[in-house]
Amino acid sequence: MQGFPERGGPGPGPGTNDLAQLQATMHTIELACASIQMHINPAAAEATILSLCQSPQPYNACQFILENSQVPDARFQAAAAIRDAAIREWGFLTADDRRSLLSFCLSFVMQHASSKEGFVLAKVSSVAAQLMKRGWLDTTAMEKEAFFNQVNQAVLGTHGLDVQFTGVNFLESLVSEFSPSTSSAMGLPREFHEQCRRSLEINYLKMFYCWARDAALSVTNRIVESKSEVPEVKVCNAALRLMLQILNWDFHLNNNSTKTSINVFSAGARLDIDSSKRSECTLVQPGPAWRDVLISSGHIGWLVNLYAALRQKFSREGYWLDCPIAVSARKLIVQFCSLTGTIFLSDNGQMHEHHLLQLLSGIIEWIDPPEAVAKAIGCGKSESEMLDGCRALLSIANVTTPFVFDQLLMSIRPFGTLTLLSTSMCEVVKVLMSTYPEEETWSWEARDILLDTWTALLVPLDSTGGNAMLPPEGINAAGNLFALIVESELKAASSALTDDVDGDYLQSSISAMDERLSSYALIARAAIHVTIPLLARLFSERFARLNQGRGIIDPTETLEEVYSLLLIAGHVLADEGEGETPLVPYAIQTYFTDNMGADEHPVIVLSSSIIGFAEQSLDPKMRASVFSPRLLEAVIWFFARWSRTYLMNPEEVRETHSHDHQLQSQQLRKGLHSFFREHNQGKLVLDIIVRVSITTLLSYPGEKDLQALTCYQLLHALVREKHICVHLVSLDSWRNLANAFANEKSLFLLDLAHQRSLAQTLVHSASGLINSEASNQYVRDLMGHMATYLGELSSKNDLKSVAQQPDIILLVSCVLERLRGVASASEPRTQKAIYELGFSVMNPILVLLEVYKHESAVVYLLLKFVVAWVNGQISYLEAHETAIVVDFCMRLLQLYSSHNIGKISVSLSSSLLSEAKTEKYKDLRALLQLLSSLCSKDMVDFSSDSIETQGTNISQVVYFGLHIVTPLISLDLLKYPKLCHDYFALLSHLLEVYPETVAQLNSEAFAHVLGTLDFGLHHQDAEIIDMCLRSLKALASYHYKETASGKTGLGLHAAGHKDSGGNLQEGILSRFLRSLLQLLLFEDYSPDLVGSAADALLPLILCEQGLYQRLGNELIERQANPTLRTRQANALQSLISANQLSSTLDRINYQRFRKNLNNFLIEVRGFLRTM
Amino acid sequence: MSDSEEHHFESKADAGASKTYPQQAGTIRKNGYIVIKNRPCKVVEVSTSKTGKHGHAKCHFVGIDIFTAKKLEDIVPSSHNCDVPHVNRTDYQLIDISEDGFVSLLTENGNTKDDLKLPTDDSLLTQIKDGFAEGKDLVVSVMSAMGEEQICALKDIGPK
Repeated sequence: MQGFPERGGPGPGPGTNDLAQLQATMHTIELACASIQMHINPAAAEATILSLCQSPQPYNACQFILENSQVPDARFQAAAAIRDAAIREWGFLTADDRRSLLSFCLSFVMQHASSKEGFVLAKVSSVAAQLMKRGWLDTTAMEKEAFFNQVNQAVLGTHGLDVQFTGVNFLESLVSEFSPSTSSAMGLPREFHEQCRRSLEINYLKMFYCWARDAALSVTNRIVESKSEVPEVKVCNAALRLMLQILNWDFHLNNNSTKTSINVFSAGARLDIDSSKRSECTLVQPGPAWRDVLISSGHIGWLVNLYAALRQKFSREGYWLDCPIAVSARKLIVQFCSLTGTIFLSDNGQMHEHHLLQLLSGIIEWIDPPEAVAKAIGCGKSESEMLDGCRALLSIANVTTPFVFDQLLMSIRPFGTLTLLSTSMCEVVKVLMSTYPEEETWSWEARDILLDTWTALLVPLDSTGGNAMLPPEGINAAGNLFALIVESELKAASSALTDDVDGDYLQSSISAMDERLSSYALIARAAIHVTIPLLARLFSERFARLNQGRGIIDPTETLEEVYSLLLIAGHVLADEGEGETPLVPYAIQTYFTDNMGADEHPVIVLSSSIIGFAEQSLDPKMRASVFSPRLLEAVIWFFARWSRTYLMNPEEVRETHSHDHQLQSQQLRKGLHSFFREHNQGKLVLDIIVRVSITTLLSYPGEKDLQALTCYQLLHALVREKHICVHLVSLDSWRNLANAFANEKSLFLLDLAHQRSLAQTLVHSASGLINSEASNQYVRDLMGHMATYLGELSSKNDLKSVAQQPDIILLVSCVLERLRGVASASEPRTQKAIYELGFSVMNPILVLLEVYKHESAVVYLLLKFVVAWVNGQISYLEAHETAIVVDFCMRLLQLYSSHNIGKISVSLSSSLLSEAKTEKYKDLRALLQLLSSLCSKDMVDFSSDSIETQGTNISQVVYFGLHIVTPLISLDLLKYPKLCHDYFALLSHLLEVYPETVAQLNSEAFAHVLGTLDFGLHHQDAEIIDMCLRSLKALASYHYKETASGKTGLGLHAAGHKDSGGNLQEGILSRFLRSLLQLLLFEDYSPDLVGSAADALLPLILCEQGLYQRLGNELIERQANPTLRTRQANALQSLISANQLSSTLDRINYQRFRKNLNNFLIEVRGFLRTM
Repeated sequence: MSDSEEHHFESKADAGASKTYPQQAGTIRKNGYIVIKNRPCKVVEVSTSKTGKHGHAKCHFVGIDIFTAKKLEDIVPSSHNCDVPHVNRTDYQLIDISEDGFVSLLTENGNTKDDLKLPTDDSLLTQIKDGFAEGKDLVVSVMSAMGEEQICALKDIGPK
């Protein structure tokens, strides 16, 4: 590798002496580029090029190469080197140097505009853009104007087409450099980028847009008139791209123009109301200032006409549907559809409608008539125009109401836009049906876009759940479309039989199809009067077919259709309501027709027929012939979703909406609501659901997926509401379930996790009993003899040999999982019984831990039960109970530790070894959770007396626990993210709340804790670093406060000492001050951490003033450049003195220091890191 | 369903047969044990699949032979029974390593057990030999199943 000799600044051209040198350099670089291309020693070649980038002031050489080299790659590398060097050395380049570099780059691209190597031009142009941005805030408006004048001349076309093209391209790089998402960092803080962005948006963006428009206008005529492709197309295309890019700009100014200060961190989030409709769509909202350019000047008309003219030419030479200019023009048109906000006058949307109509009149040609378009694509026409048309519809749907959307087309076609949307989608669905399955074709994409469009139109707008109703024509269109969709889904279902399905098919079919199905559901709800009866009819047809054909024909096809219908019906009737209680969908709530009794309501008809169908599964013969596990999965899924919304819906009909509907509709809604309520069909249906659930658990052995759905979705949903529990516990079927759970052998064969969930569910249902005594008794009856079993087993004499038998292991595991389920269902009502339950198995647990010490799977279950139990109980326990529990936990920890410390697993198989490691990680995580639960006793305590009365000190207990656990946690194990997170959460909590206890740790334990802290400080996860910083703050501020009041604080730990080898060891605070400064100044970290880093740094500096001065001096001495050196010294000084920073540790002072640190980093980090 | 011929596990009357227990395939979990092709294995992967869309679930097991570390696989209908080996682990204190590769272990009742060979794998061998040579007090865990035995873990219980 060779370096390049230092040369003066970029002065005038090279003298004769230098010429030879320059040529030599050029030659070296050319050679390096060539050898990279030929793959001859690329590492050395890269090093050569890198040394050019890194050599000081390489500008002359680079300019020489750019102007003289015949090798394009070398020119490219030279441009890159200019960029790297200039950004690095920007701080001490003179204003003239900077200017001349910039104008060199710009004149280079202009002069070489006709060169064939486009990539070199693009590179130089982007270098110019970056240099421009780097100096943006220091350049006066005058200078900028002079500069942009040149660019404008170029863009206007005064110097010919090539230069015009280059000018537009330069603007494109400039805009992308200023746009936050595409800018290059340049080692500068976000404030800088933000200021540049603002400045460009206020002063230049619109001007650039006008230039681009003018450039495009200047060549339009030539393009339209010429018969074949002309060079002007290139310019026009570039201009269109630039316009599109500018319209993609994230406009801020008009949205919150009152805000003067720049909030760097929230600047990305937009708070406009319009976009709440669909969060992911991008709206273009440039504000009123742009009205003249975009709206009133006939700009849209020009664009639409331009594309129309291009369409005429597609048959000619040089133009086709996907040629670049056509693509750009279409993209721009679609982008204009998203235009919204204050750019339009507030004239009741007339201006906006006119704008959209203008666009739509052009777009309509792309997609209308849908049959013809689909046919043409089928015959080989490119689909891109059709897809862009769909995208345009989506964009329009996002900025209008359904009514306006529908009206738009009325003036140019005899039907509304909704009808067009529906017929287009029907065509797409037809194409899908004919090409099904598997092939990924254009129709998939078109379907997804059009579905999104429907969703955008139909998704409820406001919090009340109401949305603007569709006009009648639109309702019919939706109804027709839904019928076709159902037909296609059924066809797909019955024809996809032959597929080999794998295990997670159910998950993928239910979850991944979810989104599509919920869009279908929106369409269906728009036309309830036809769609729900349709579903009911289809369903009963299939049902009848199954009954007739039993044992005669293969039912698989029909089963698949029923399966699909169940999924669709579930989506149409009810919302998912993840984490909240879903309401009856608004469209269904408000639906009514004349002369209809409550039980004729289509929703009731459909629900009843599905429930009737499900009831058939109770008959063993039907079960064997019809109800396959997969079908029953769909039934259970439907029940879970349906019952959350309809079953015993407690809510009275809300009167808030009633004024806008007639009395009859109210009654009907009441009918719908009360139909499945307690006194009506509710209890009957509940009983059916419970009996079907028991069937899935008992009669489908080994069907895990089915049972998982039953346990997690259905039963959990049932016991969530107390008023349902009241009825549940009174049902015979529910008692049967509880009974089977306690005694039936086959329920011990369920998956362990399912048994746990079942235990939890059953205990939850106890909340439906009259009083606390009854609930406690319920739990005792349910679990009592299982606890007894553990007790008996653990006291057996031959336990050691018996315990290893696989059947015993299985049984013990089941009982433990059930206990854990019960423990995790702790509520005040059942707390007493659950405490007694846990208390009775405390000793057996310890015995079993000893016996199963090699059986890691059982050990894990043991620990998890204890964790769940302690976590559920600890805050209710009285002092003496707490003492017992704490003592038990410590014994558990010690026992676990004695089994595992120093243990090495040996195995031939690496995967078994890594399994063993994972098991260990899971155990430790459980232990940490146990300690965290114990910790919470100090925060939340419902007991009547203080725990101190029994002499229990939680902080000591937890430190003692940590002391046992930490030796087991190696740095290797901390690589497991969850363990790492838990560990540091616990550690930072301890250090913040009980720093005095940590001071008493012995030096070995202390060193271990601190070692992990150091490890965490350099972790990738910002949250973990944050926790470590909080711990540091706690430690240092504790020490500072203690020593200030004359106590020892951290004592020996903080003071430096000599270790056994006689080397001087730094005190821990000095060590952390050093590493924290290192981190802040030289390493990568998330900017969000600066605040908490400041909080940690302040007390560290206060504790170790001397060291801080010393480190500061070192840093200054290392700096060679005198300007930077003073800057650095000043910054270091003002870090600890600006803003009247005092040496107390109060809130105000912390805040001041945060500000200081922010300023400090902005001031120095830029050059420290780039140097 | 009458598919008893689908039983993969014929209980042949060799040494392993009496040392296994039947257990429903659906209840065997990851990290549990299973007999595959008459070898005791630790289960490292379980997945369920269906026979056709409306058929019953089957479990697909991937196991690793606990003695030879060979990977074995099996598919069983989830409602059928599998054999689960009785895996026992006993701790012994290590007394001596003899020249011919056998170890001498101290049993609970004070006798010695001398019929166990050192593991063949080099890295394991060195871990044990080195530890022993350094004079540490080592406890080895011996795993036994279906008539085979092997050292599976060691632990230093010596004073720090």
